[in-house]
Amino acid sequence: MELKELFNNTNVNLNLKATDKDAVLLELINLLKLDEKAKDMLFKMLKKRENLGSTGIGKGFAIPHCRSLVVDKLNVAFGRHCEGLDFKSIDGKPANFFFLIVAPPIEISNYYLPVLGKVAQFCKIQDIGAKLKEIKEIPEFLKLLEDIPN
Amino acid sequence: MKESQLRLLMFLQDLLSLKKEMQDFQVVEQYEQMGFALDKKERIEESIREVTEQLDPVLYHRFLRIAEKYDRPMAPVKNGVCYGCFVSAPTGSKLVTEHQDVIEFCNHCGRILYRID
Repeated sequence: MELKELFNNTNVNLNLKATDKDAVLLELINLLKLDEKAKDMLFKMLKKRENLGSTGIGKGFAIPHCRSLVVDKLNVAFGRHCEGLDFKSIDGKPANFFFLIVAPPIEISNYYLPVLGKVAQFCKIQDIGAKLKEIKEIPEFLKLLEDIPN
Repeated sequence: MKESQLRLLMFLQDLLSLKKEMQDFQVVEQYEQMGFALDKKERIEESIREVTEQLDPVLYHRFLRIAEKYDRPMAPVKNGVCYGCFVSAPTGSKLVTEHQDVIEFCNHCGRILYRID
């Protein structure tokens, strides 16, 4: 499974408006096609996961993720917050780029951890943050995912 | 607002699944290699306690009994099929909790059923 296969025009938002951690999680959840009850449950589960240790891995990146019964397949979303906000990241710096990953408790394909690993690897590519900041339209983001070595 | 018992059960199962994942040394090592800090694992126990305190005791004990038998005590229903045992028409038994919630169980495998619509 390559990252470019997971993202499209509907699950990417390059202009997040949130002003705090909770609001950014809600904005990311809104990119998924879920009903209100499912969104609410997913939000709670993501918050519980954040309580174990922030998923802000530094250098402006955060990868909120969890397994939840409210989804029946792997779901992802990407959001960019141009100014950056406090996500309690391990380096203490604001986060600008957010990858949301949600999977059901059991998946036959078992993509959850490999996809999480690929996203974490992507975030560690040199100068990737600068490239993501320059992007203006969603197709440029999709092209960037396509161009990265897997 | 009072939380639905079914939603509490779903939340409980997600927390138990997270707890199980965090007990797997290899998975935790993978997480750490990816750059995630997992420094407050005891908080999962606190969360599990918070949820179980809000559950109807009869329902909670039934959940525990099913959990002894299956890793996943809850199963989704799609197109009239229980995705726990894959037997169709799971018009199983029902339990009305003290909160007046109706919880359905699969007639074949006994799992607690929920719908993702």
